[in-house]
Amino acid sequence: MKLYIGGAYQGQEELARQENPAAEIFPDFHEAIRKAVLAEGQDPRTFAEQFCEEHPEAVVTANEVGAGVVPMAAEDRAFREAVGRVLCVIAGKAEQVTRCTCGIGVRIK
Amino acid sequence: MIVLVTGGSGCGKSTWAEKLMDSLQQDRRVYIATMQVYDEESRQRVKRHREQRADKHFRTIECEKDLDSAEIPEGSSVLLEDLVNLTANEMFDNGEVSRIVPALRRLASRCSHLVMVTNDLFSDGEEYSTSVQEYLRCLAEINRQAAEMADCVAEVVYSVPVALKGELPCV
Repeated sequence: MKLYIGGAYQGQEELARQENPAAEIFPDFHEAIRKAVLAEGQDPRTFAEQFCEEHPEAVVTANEVGAGVVPMAAEDRAFREAVGRVLCVIAGKAEQVTRCTCGIGVRIK
Repeated sequence: MIVLVTGGSGCGKSTWAEKLMDSLQQDRRVYIATMQVYDEESRQRVKRHREQRADKHFRTIECEKDLDSAEIPEGSSVLLEDLVNLTANEMFDNGEVSRIVPALRRLASRCSHLVMVTNDLFSDGEEYSTSVQEYLRCLAEINRQAAEMADCVAEVVYSVPVALKGELPCV
């Protein structure tokens, strides 16, 4: 499993596709997390562990959403928390984590 | 050793900081908790953090402001969580922001290890009210001073520590 993260529109998905042409890519995973945790009420850890078990070879790309002033709306805070919890699990299991800025990847794990 | 841990919200800063504490010193571990508990969400956050460190033998000291008032035995290994709340409490709850950095220095000189947690609040590009902008400016200055004091500054990115200063300690 590999994880590519970065701020919005930093090219993490393109880089992931370039570097892993044959892999199954899960782009914009923060949106999948929003759906699973916020809309469907799944537990972040359970959701993450189940995903990793079902897709051990997955290449996941997602936005970093935790920087900035804590949002006023509870739902926005919950979203950041959920993305954090899930991506911590995925990053922990991934053999490779790459952070992308301006299209440039820096491998941090 | 003095370490500053930064990163976004929910990125695993506390978890990494606690693991780091495990590797530094086995006895006289102190956790300085700074968050004001005022609603269910903050209660839940405290509960989660308490559960996380339940078996780690910390003595917890509540200190919402005036860090000098916390009685920390000499030679302690201290986890201070966090500068974001401490600064907000000093600023918005009748405290004194300017006493934070001197108190951090005194604390650092008393204890054998000091791990400070802070947060990256600065990159969302939003414009805030004057008081929030002033808060951000003060916190940024405190972060910079803390980073200067620190042997190691680590940014935790979704559980992965990245060294910004010094070498990452083995955790």
